[in-house]
Amino acid sequence: MAKKIDSYIKLQIPAGKANPSPPVGPALGQKGVNIMEFCKQFNARTQDKDGLIIPVVITVFSDKSFTFITKTPPASVLLKKAAKLEKGSAESHRTKVGKVSQKQVKEIAEVKMPDLNAFDIDHAMSMISGTARSMGISVEE
Amino acid sequence: MNKSYKEYIITAEPFNAEILSSILWELNIDGINEEVNCVKVFARDENVTVEAIENELSHLKENKLLRKYSVQENFIVEKNWNEEWEKSREVVHVSDKIVIKPTFKDYEAKLNEIVLTLDPKMSFGTGDHQTTKICLIFIEKYLKPGMKVLDAGSGTAILGIASAKLRAAKVIAFDIDDWCYDNGIENTKLNNVEDIVEIRKCELKNITENNFDLIIANIQKNILLELAKGFKERIKPDGILILSGLLEMDREAIEQKYASFGFREIDFLKMDEWIGIVLKN
Repeated sequence: MAKKIDSYIKLQIPAGKANPSPPVGPALGQKGVNIMEFCKQFNARTQDKDGLIIPVVITVFSDKSFTFITKTPPASVLLKKAAKLEKGSAESHRTKVGKVSQKQVKEIAEVKMPDLNAFDIDHAMSMISGTARSMGISVEE
Repeated sequence: MNKSYKEYIITAEPFNAEILSSILWELNIDGINEEVNCVKVFARDENVTVEAIENELSHLKENKLLRKYSVQENFIVEKNWNEEWEKSREVVHVSDKIVIKPTFKDYEAKLNEIVLTLDPKMSFGTGDHQTTKICLIFIEKYLKPGMKVLDAGSGTAILGIASAKLRAAKVIAFDIDDWCYDNGIENTKLNNVEDIVEIRKCELKNITENNFDLIIANIQKNILLELAKGFKERIKPDGILILSGLLEMDREAIEQKYASFGFREIDFLKMDEWIGIVLKN
């Protein structure tokens, strides 16, 4: 018989670096999940993606056991990768630090579509373009 | 200990967790917890402030990705967040010989059993995990009385404590984590092996001793790859090296790396997706 689901926990943490500090400790601890067991599994599975931020959705069952799936990195991380940047602009309205093409925006929008609650691909692209501009990354027309 | 973390609870209209959290990684934050109506951002960096977060959010507002937002700052002090889970811990029989029990459980040891009493708190090495069991089984198999042992990335010090109880002469157990240092000391005292097991907060490069008969490392692939040279320098000829914290997909890389330092595989064990390897120098 399938186990009863108690809750879902959504976190974003650096690959291979989960530890019992926040956000992992408080989020999993209050559900009675073995924090160290999660950290061990997450780190082992994501250690080769070092430097990336990994969103993870943890399904907690009523017996306190859990499973998790990892998702694609946040749009900002994908945008910086596309624009070959370490960091966005602190003053994005004044200082532009890089640029991405419409094709790159579309590719990122397609990857992030399931997480964006967008109506369609155009809506998703506008969100990604807005995020890019908020980081000081110009979107080529 | 008692580190303090800043927690920022961010709400916005329209609320889109992906858009909000995405821009916040532009700051030096530790992680994000996405909830139904808000995102919680955690940070220790003093440059992460309400103003810095609002600055990032204002960029989203300028680009019409949100209309309004609020940021609430809280301070939370680190504590044993694993306490709730610890209450559900049971006695674990790793083998016919090795039994692990939490302090709050009574257990009467049978003849020839050794009982490890552990409160893991927030350290790795509870005894429930497959890799800990694999290491303990290998220690039982390969440790001979009088051996000098190095426990690398010791966590709760469970492997060092087991080594002492199986009559190792001396164990040095080290970890880089504060929790592990304090917890390791507590657990060696709980098991009356503090004279044999020395807990240190340091890295492998700080271990000046060498000629270890047995080295045990239950960590993870990339770290074990980095530590290969250091282990080689500290293990005695014919010494035994037990490696775990590995997934089956890690096996080839580990075997190749350690073979390049002259280690020869003599044993292997798999539990679910986790593996352990025993190498001889």
